[in-house]
Amino acid sequence: MANKGWDEFEIGAMLRSFNGPVSDVALTHQEDRDYSENNSFTASVADWRIEKPVFNKDYCIDCQFCWIYCPDISIISRDKKMVGVDMDHCKGCGICVEVCPTNPKSLLMYSEQTDEEEALAAWPSKETGEK
Amino acid sequence: MSEIKKIKNLKEFSTSADRFEGANLLCPGCAHSIIVREVLNATNDDLILSASTGCLEVCTAVYPYTSWDASWIHIGFENGSTAVAGAEAMYKALKTKGRLKQPDREPKFVSFAGDGASYDIGFQWISGCMERGHNMMHIVLDNEVYANTGGQRSSSTPIGSSATTSPAGRISYGEKKNKKDMISIMAAHQIPYAAQVAPNKWKDMVKKIQHGLAVEGPVFINAMSACTTEWKFDPKDTMSISDLATDSLVFPLYEIID
Repeated sequence: MANKGWDEFEIGAMLRSFNGPVSDVALTHQEDRDYSENNSFTASVADWRIEKPVFNKDYCIDCQFCWIYCPDISIISRDKKMVGVDMDHCKGCGICVEVCPTNPKSLLMYSEQTDEEEALAAWPSKETGEK
Repeated sequence: MSEIKKIKNLKEFSTSADRFEGANLLCPGCAHSIIVREVLNATNDDLILSASTGCLEVCTAVYPYTSWDASWIHIGFENGSTAVAGAEAMYKALKTKGRLKQPDREPKFVSFAGDGASYDIGFQWISGCMERGHNMMHIVLDNEVYANTGGQRSSSTPIGSSATTSPAGRISYGEKKNKKDMISIMAAHQIPYAAQVAPNKWKDMVKKIQHGLAVEGPVFINAMSACTTEWKFDPKDTMSISDLATDSLVFPLYEIID
Protein backbone atom coordinates (compact mmCIF):
# COMPACT_ATOMS: atom_id res chain seq x y z
CA MET A 1 0.00 0.00 0.00
CA ALA A 2 2.71 2.47 -1.00
CA ASN A 3 1.62 6.07 -1.48
CA LYS A 4 0.92 6.96 -5.08
CA GLY A 5 1.67 10.21 -6.84
CA TRP A 6 -1.07 12.55 -8.04
CA ASP A 7 -1.00 11.11 -11.56
CA GLU A 8 -0.81 7.46 -10.60
CA PHE A 9 -3.94 5.43 -10.24
CA GLU A 10 -4.95 2.24 -8.49
CA ILE A 11 -6.85 0.25 -11.12
CA GLY A 12 -8.61 -2.03 -8.71
CA ALA A 13 -8.19 -3.97 -5.54
CA MET A 14 -9.28 -7.31 -4.21
CA LEU A 15 -9.58 -7.76 -0.46
CA ARG A 16 -10.02 -11.05 1.32
CA SER A 17 -12.34 -11.10 4.31
CA PHE A 18 -10.77 -14.19 5.85
CA ASN A 19 -7.38 -15.85 6.11
CA GLY A 20 -7.34 -19.04 4.11
CA PRO A 21 -10.28 -20.90 2.60
CA VAL A 22 -13.67 -20.79 4.34
CA SER A 23 -16.91 -22.65 3.92
CA ASP A 24 -20.32 -22.06 5.43
CA VAL A 25 -19.70 -18.56 6.75
CA ALA A 26 -23.45 -18.30 7.29
CA LEU A 27 -23.25 -21.02 9.94
CA THR A 28 -20.09 -19.79 11.69
CA HIS A 29 -20.38 -17.20 14.43
CA GLN A 30 -18.01 -14.27 14.67
CA GLU A 31 -15.83 -15.75 17.42
CA ASP A 32 -15.09 -18.83 15.30
CA ARG A 33 -14.11 -16.97 12.14
CA ASP A 34 -10.55 -16.34 11.02
CA TYR A 35 -10.81 -12.68 10.02
CA SER A 36 -8.10 -11.18 7.87
CA GLU A 37 -6.62 -7.76 8.64
CA ASN A 38 -8.65 -6.32 5.74
CA ASN A 39 -11.96 -7.15 7.38
CA SER A 40 -13.55 -4.15 9.04
CA PHE A 41 -14.32 -6.43 12.00
CA THR A 42 -10.71 -5.89 13.03
CA ALA A 43 -11.22 -2.11 13.00
CA SER A 44 -13.04 -0.06 15.62
CA VAL A 45 -15.43 2.87 15.56
CA ALA A 46 -15.63 3.16 19.35
CA ASP A 47 -14.32 6.74 19.19
CA TRP A 48 -17.51 7.83 17.36
CA ARG A 49 -19.54 7.36 20.53
CA ILE A 50 -20.65 10.17 22.82
CA GLU A 51 -23.02 7.96 24.78
CA LYS A 52 -22.74 4.24 25.30
CA PRO A 53 -25.48 1.68 25.91
CA VAL A 54 -25.30 -0.15 29.24
CA PHE A 55 -26.94 -3.57 29.39
CA ASN A 56 -28.75 -4.75 32.52
CA LYS A 57 -29.44 -8.44 32.13
CA ASP A 58 -31.75 -8.57 35.17
CA TYR A 59 -34.58 -6.98 33.20
CA CYS A 60 -33.85 -8.45 29.75
CA ILE A 61 -36.54 -10.75 28.35
CA ASP A 62 -34.46 -11.81 25.29
CA CYS A 63 -36.99 -10.44 22.82
CA GLN A 64 -34.09 -9.67 20.42
CA PHE A 65 -35.56 -6.39 19.15
CA CYS A 66 -32.18 -4.77 19.82
CA TRP A 67 -30.42 -7.49 17.83
CA ILE A 68 -32.57 -7.11 14.71
CA TYR A 69 -32.57 -3.30 14.73
CA CYS A 70 -28.90 -2.73 15.59
CA PRO A 71 -27.30 -1.16 12.49
CA ASP A 72 -23.76 -2.06 13.57
CA ILE A 73 -23.95 -5.74 14.49
CA SER A 74 -23.04 -4.70 18.02
CA ILE A 75 -25.68 -6.66 19.92
CA ILE A 76 -24.24 -10.09 20.57
CA SER A 77 -26.88 -12.82 20.70
CA ARG A 78 -26.03 -16.47 21.10
CA ASP A 79 -28.46 -19.39 21.51
CA LYS A 80 -31.48 -17.04 21.52
CA LYS A 81 -30.03 -15.11 24.48
CA MET A 82 -28.78 -11.54 24.49
CA VAL A 83 -25.19 -11.68 25.71
CA GLY A 84 -23.93 -8.12 25.61
CA VAL A 85 -22.85 -5.16 23.52
CA ASP A 86 -19.82 -5.17 21.22
CA MET A 87 -18.18 -1.90 22.26
CA ASP A 88 -15.62 -1.94 19.43
CA HIS A 89 -18.32 -1.55 16.78
CA CYS A 90 -21.09 0.32 18.60
CA LYS A 91 -21.51 3.87 17.32
CA GLY A 92 -23.86 4.88 20.14
CA CYS A 93 -26.92 5.62 18.00
CA GLY A 94 -29.35 4.57 20.73
CA ILE A 95 -31.77 2.53 18.59
CA CYS A 96 -31.43 -0.46 20.94
CA VAL A 97 -32.61 1.64 23.88
CA GLU A 98 -35.54 3.04 21.90
CA VAL A 99 -36.83 -0.38 20.82
CA CYS A 100 -36.33 -2.09 24.21
CA PRO A 101 -39.84 -3.01 25.43
CA THR A 102 -39.17 -3.85 29.10
CA ASN A 103 -40.12 -1.68 32.05
CA PRO A 104 -37.67 -0.40 33.23
CA LYS A 105 -35.58 -0.65 30.06
CA SER A 106 -32.81 -3.22 30.12
CA LEU A 107 -30.59 -1.02 27.94
CA LEU A 108 -29.96 2.64 28.75
CA MET A 109 -27.63 5.27 27.33
CA TYR A 110 -24.97 6.75 29.62
CA SER A 111 -22.17 9.14 28.82
CA GLU A 112 -18.98 7.42 27.65
CA GLN A 113 -17.12 8.09 30.94
CA THR A 114 -19.77 6.55 33.19
CA ASP A 115 -18.67 3.55 35.19
CA GLU A 116 -20.76 0.56 34.25
CA GLU A 117 -21.02 -0.79 37.82
CA GLU A 118 -22.28 2.56 39.09
CA ALA A 119 -24.84 2.78 36.30
CA LEU A 120 -26.13 -0.71 37.08
CA ALA A 121 -26.34 0.06 40.82
CA ALA A 122 -28.40 3.21 40.20
CA TRP A 123 -30.72 1.62 37.60
CA PRO A 124 -34.13 3.35 37.48
CA SER A 125 -37.01 1.41 39.00
CA LYS A 126 -40.20 0.37 37.27
CA GLU A 127 -42.32 3.20 35.90
CA THR A 128 -45.94 3.15 36.95
CA GLY A 129 -48.85 4.78 35.16
CA GLU A 130 -49.48 7.18 38.08
CA LYS A 131 -48.26 10.73 37.85
CA MET B 1 -33.71 -25.88 -5.19
CA SER B 2 -31.98 -25.30 -1.92
CA GLU B 3 -33.92 -25.29 1.29
CA ILE B 4 -35.45 -22.08 2.57
CA LYS B 5 -34.15 -21.08 6.00
CA LYS B 6 -36.82 -21.50 8.67
CA ILE B 7 -37.47 -18.28 10.57
CA LYS B 8 -40.55 -18.53 12.74
CA ASN B 9 -39.83 -15.84 15.27
CA LEU B 10 -37.24 -13.28 16.23
CA LYS B 11 -35.51 -15.57 18.74
CA GLU B 12 -34.95 -18.14 16.03
CA PHE B 13 -33.80 -15.41 13.65
CA SER B 14 -31.27 -14.15 16.20
CA THR B 15 -29.26 -17.37 15.98
CA SER B 16 -28.13 -16.27 12.50
CA ALA B 17 -24.45 -15.49 12.03
CA ASP B 18 -24.10 -12.09 10.42
CA ARG B 19 -22.24 -11.82 7.14
CA PHE B 20 -22.03 -8.04 7.32
CA GLU B 21 -19.46 -6.55 9.69
CA GLY B 22 -19.39 -3.57 12.01
CA ALA B 23 -16.92 -0.70 11.86
CA ASN B 24 -18.33 0.27 8.49
CA LEU B 25 -18.55 4.05 8.17
CA LEU B 26 -22.31 4.42 7.80
CA CYS B 27 -23.83 7.13 10.00
CA PRO B 28 -24.98 6.05 13.47
CA GLY B 29 -28.62 5.01 13.17
CA CYS B 30 -28.48 4.44 9.40
CA ALA B 31 -31.19 2.07 8.16
CA HIS B 32 -29.02 0.81 5.27
CA SER B 33 -27.16 -1.70 7.40
CA ILE B 34 -30.37 -2.85 9.12
CA ILE B 35 -31.81 -3.70 5.70
CA VAL B 36 -28.61 -5.38 4.54
CA ARG B 37 -28.46 -7.48 7.71
CA GLU B 38 -32.07 -8.58 7.40
CA VAL B 39 -31.49 -9.57 3.76
CA LEU B 40 -28.24 -11.46 4.35
CA ASN B 41 -29.61 -13.23 7.43
CA ALA B 42 -32.72 -14.35 5.57
CA THR B 43 -30.74 -17.07 3.83
CA ASN B 44 -27.93 -19.52 4.57
CA ASP B 45 -27.01 -19.93 0.91
CA ASP B 46 -23.82 -18.58 -0.62
CA LEU B 47 -24.27 -15.03 -1.80
CA ILE B 48 -22.85 -13.11 -4.72
CA LEU B 49 -23.40 -9.44 -4.05
CA SER B 50 -22.74 -6.12 -5.68
CA ALA B 51 -23.28 -2.55 -4.70
CA SER B 52 -23.65 0.46 -6.93
CA THR B 53 -21.99 3.67 -5.84
CA GLY B 54 -23.80 5.23 -2.95
CA CYS B 55 -23.66 5.47 0.81
CA LEU B 56 -23.59 1.70 1.21
CA GLU B 57 -20.71 1.15 -1.18
CA VAL B 58 -18.68 4.13 -0.02
CA CYS B 59 -18.99 3.22 3.65
CA THR B 60 -18.52 -0.55 3.54
CA ALA B 61 -15.49 -0.74 1.27
CA VAL B 62 -13.05 1.83 2.57
CA TYR B 63 -9.64 0.66 1.42
CA PRO B 64 -7.99 -1.32 3.05
CA TYR B 65 -11.14 -2.60 4.75
CA THR B 66 -14.18 -4.53 3.60
CA SER B 67 -17.31 -5.12 5.68
CA TRP B 68 -18.62 -8.00 3.60
CA ASP B 69 -18.17 -11.68 4.44
CA ALA B 70 -19.56 -12.81 1.08
CA SER B 71 -18.38 -12.32 -2.50
CA TRP B 72 -18.93 -8.65 -3.22
CA ILE B 73 -18.10 -6.43 -6.15
CA HIS B 74 -18.35 -2.76 -6.93
CA ILE B 75 -17.68 -1.37 -10.40
CA GLY B 76 -19.44 1.86 -11.19
CA PHE B 77 -22.41 4.00 -10.28
CA GLU B 78 -24.79 2.50 -12.79
CA ASN B 79 -23.78 -1.10 -13.32
CA GLY B 80 -24.08 -2.91 -10.00
CA SER B 81 -27.06 -4.82 -11.34
CA THR B 82 -25.32 -5.84 -14.56
CA ALA B 83 -22.22 -6.97 -12.64
CA VAL B 84 -24.37 -9.46 -10.76
CA ALA B 85 -26.25 -10.36 -13.94
CA GLY B 86 -22.93 -11.16 -15.60
CA ALA B 87 -21.89 -13.37 -12.71
CA GLU B 88 -25.25 -15.11 -12.90
CA ALA B 89 -24.86 -15.69 -16.65
CA MET B 90 -21.40 -17.15 -16.05
CA TYR B 91 -22.76 -19.42 -13.31
CA LYS B 92 -25.45 -20.71 -15.66
CA ALA B 93 -22.93 -21.31 -18.46
CA LEU B 94 -20.51 -23.21 -16.20
CA LYS B 95 -23.39 -25.21 -14.79
CA THR B 96 -24.48 -26.27 -18.26
CA LYS B 97 -20.93 -27.29 -19.10
CA GLY B 98 -20.58 -29.12 -15.76
CA ARG B 99 -17.52 -27.12 -14.77
CA LEU B 100 -18.73 -25.74 -11.43
CA LYS B 101 -16.25 -26.36 -8.59
CA GLN B 102 -19.03 -26.84 -6.03
CA PRO B 103 -21.99 -28.11 -8.06
CA ASP B 104 -24.02 -28.95 -4.94
CA ARG B 105 -24.25 -25.33 -3.83
CA GLU B 106 -26.74 -22.86 -5.21
CA PRO B 107 -25.55 -19.30 -4.77
CA LYS B 108 -28.00 -16.40 -4.73
CA PHE B 109 -27.34 -13.25 -6.73
CA VAL B 110 -28.24 -9.95 -5.10
CA SER B 111 -27.39 -6.39 -6.10
CA PHE B 112 -27.81 -3.43 -3.78
CA ALA B 113 -28.19 0.13 -5.00
CA GLY B 114 -29.43 3.41 -3.67
CA ASP B 115 -32.39 5.21 -5.14
CA GLY B 116 -30.12 7.47 -7.17
CA ALA B 117 -28.35 4.49 -8.72
CA SER B 118 -31.66 2.75 -9.45
CA TYR B 119 -34.28 5.36 -10.23
CA ASP B 120 -32.00 7.70 -12.19
CA ILE B 121 -28.49 6.67 -13.10
CA GLY B 122 -28.69 2.87 -13.35
CA PHE B 123 -32.26 2.75 -14.64
CA GLN B 124 -31.37 1.49 -18.11
CA TRP B 125 -29.11 -1.24 -16.74
CA ILE B 126 -31.70 -2.51 -14.27
CA SER B 127 -34.34 -2.48 -16.98
CA GLY B 128 -32.02 -4.61 -19.11
CA CYS B 129 -31.44 -7.11 -16.29
CA MET B 130 -35.16 -7.44 -15.63
CA GLU B 131 -35.96 -7.80 -19.32
CA ARG B 132 -33.30 -10.49 -19.94
CA GLY B 133 -34.67 -12.58 -17.09
CA HIS B 134 -31.54 -13.15 -15.01
CA ASN B 135 -32.12 -15.15 -11.85
CA MET B 136 -31.19 -12.29 -9.52
CA MET B 137 -32.59 -9.85 -7.02
CA HIS B 138 -32.16 -6.10 -7.14
CA ILE B 139 -32.67 -4.27 -3.86
CA VAL B 140 -33.10 -0.51 -3.77
CA LEU B 141 -32.14 1.16 -0.49
CA ASP B 142 -34.58 3.99 -1.00
CA ASN B 143 -33.81 7.03 1.14
CA GLU B 144 -35.52 9.28 -1.40
CA VAL B 145 -32.58 11.66 -1.80
CA TYR B 146 -28.92 11.72 -2.93
CA ALA B 147 -27.73 11.46 0.66
CA ASN B 148 -24.08 10.74 -0.12
CA THR B 149 -23.49 13.98 -2.00
CA GLY B 150 -25.39 16.40 0.19
CA GLY B 151 -29.10 15.85 -0.26
CA GLN B 152 -29.96 16.71 -3.86
CA ARG B 153 -33.36 15.59 -5.13
CA SER B 154 -33.64 12.32 -7.01
CA SER B 155 -36.61 11.05 -9.00
CA SER B 156 -37.53 9.08 -5.89
CA THR B 157 -38.03 12.25 -3.83
CA PRO B 158 -41.73 12.52 -3.00
CA ILE B 159 -43.81 15.64 -3.51
CA GLY B 160 -43.39 18.32 -0.84
CA SER B 161 -39.96 17.19 0.35
CA SER B 162 -37.34 19.79 1.06
CA ALA B 163 -34.11 18.69 -0.65
CA THR B 164 -31.11 20.96 -1.09
CA THR B 165 -31.92 21.45 -4.78
CA SER B 166 -35.66 21.86 -4.12
CA PRO B 167 -35.79 23.67 -0.76
CA ALA B 168 -39.05 24.53 0.90
CA GLY B 169 -39.42 28.16 1.93
CA ARG B 170 -41.04 31.47 0.98
CA ILE B 171 -41.16 30.76 -2.78
CA SER B 172 -41.83 27.03 -2.93
CA TYR B 173 -43.22 24.23 -0.83
CA GLY B 174 -40.33 21.99 -1.88
CA GLU B 175 -40.19 19.19 -4.43
CA LYS B 176 -42.97 19.66 -7.01
CA LYS B 177 -43.00 16.28 -8.72
CA ASN B 178 -44.45 13.04 -7.53
CA LYS B 179 -42.24 10.08 -6.69
CA LYS B 180 -41.49 7.85 -9.66
CA ASP B 181 -43.56 4.67 -9.42
CA MET B 182 -40.65 2.29 -9.86
CA ILE B 183 -42.49 -0.85 -8.71
CA SER B 184 -45.09 -0.42 -11.48
CA ILE B 185 -42.36 0.18 -14.05
CA MET B 186 -40.56 -2.97 -12.95
CA ALA B 187 -43.78 -4.98 -12.80
CA ALA B 188 -44.39 -3.92 -16.40
CA HIS B 189 -41.25 -5.90 -17.32
CA GLN B 190 -43.37 -8.92 -16.38
CA ILE B 191 -40.95 -10.07 -13.70
CA PRO B 192 -42.15 -12.78 -11.30
CA TYR B 193 -41.91 -10.66 -8.14
CA ALA B 194 -41.73 -7.01 -7.13
CA ALA B 195 -42.25 -5.73 -3.61
CA GLN B 196 -41.83 -2.81 -1.25
CA VAL B 197 -40.38 -3.55 2.19
CA ALA B 198 -39.29 -1.61 5.26
CA PRO B 199 -36.74 -2.66 7.90
CA ASN B 200 -39.02 -1.96 10.87
CA LYS B 201 -41.43 -4.68 9.66
CA TRP B 202 -38.76 -7.36 9.83
CA LYS B 203 -41.05 -10.37 9.50
CA ASP B 204 -42.78 -9.03 6.41
CA MET B 205 -39.39 -8.16 4.97
CA VAL B 206 -37.83 -11.57 5.62
CA LYS B 207 -40.88 -13.29 4.12
CA LYS B 208 -40.69 -11.19 0.96
CA ILE B 209 -36.91 -11.61 0.62
CA GLN B 210 -37.17 -15.38 1.03
CA HIS B 211 -39.94 -15.53 -1.57
CA GLY B 212 -37.86 -13.36 -3.88
CA LEU B 213 -34.79 -15.58 -3.49
CA ALA B 214 -36.84 -18.73 -4.06
CA VAL B 215 -38.53 -17.72 -7.31
CA GLU B 216 -36.80 -18.25 -10.63
CA GLY B 217 -36.21 -14.99 -12.50
CA PRO B 218 -35.48 -11.34 -11.79
CA VAL B 219 -36.87 -9.83 -8.59
CA PHE B 220 -37.14 -6.17 -7.71
CA ILE B 221 -37.31 -5.02 -4.09
CA ASN B 222 -37.76 -1.42 -2.97
CA ALA B 223 -36.71 -1.01 0.67
CA MET B 224 -37.39 2.15 2.60
CA SER B 225 -34.24 3.40 4.29
CA ALA B 226 -34.66 6.25 6.75
CA CYS B 227 -31.71 8.67 6.50
CA THR B 228 -30.77 10.42 9.74
CA THR B 229 -28.55 12.95 7.97
CA GLU B 230 -30.84 14.12 5.18
CA TRP B 231 -34.23 13.55 6.79
CA LYS B 232 -32.76 15.39 9.79
CA PHE B 233 -33.87 13.35 12.76
CA ASP B 234 -32.09 11.99 15.81
CA PRO B 235 -30.23 8.69 15.13
CA LYS B 236 -32.19 6.88 17.85
CA ASP B 237 -35.51 7.66 16.08
CA THR B 238 -34.81 5.59 12.94
CA MET B 239 -37.32 2.93 13.89
CA SER B 240 -40.10 5.28 15.02
CA ILE B 241 -39.74 7.34 11.81
CA SER B 242 -39.91 4.12 9.77
CA ASP B 243 -43.00 3.07 11.75
CA LEU B 244 -44.62 6.43 11.00
CA ALA B 245 -43.88 6.13 7.28
CA THR B 246 -45.19 2.59 6.90
CA ASP B 247 -48.19 2.83 9.24
CA SER B 248 -49.40 6.09 7.69
CA LEU B 249 -49.00 4.52 4.22
CA VAL B 250 -46.69 7.28 3.04
CA PHE B 251 -44.54 4.28 2.14
CA PRO B 252 -47.00 1.43 1.58
CA LEU B 253 -45.77 -2.15 1.82
CA TYR B 254 -47.10 -4.32 -0.97
CA GLU B 255 -46.03 -6.98 -3.41
CA ILE B 256 -46.81 -7.80 -7.04
CA ILE B 257 -46.61 -11.51 -7.86
CA ASP B 258 -46.24 -12.61 -11.50
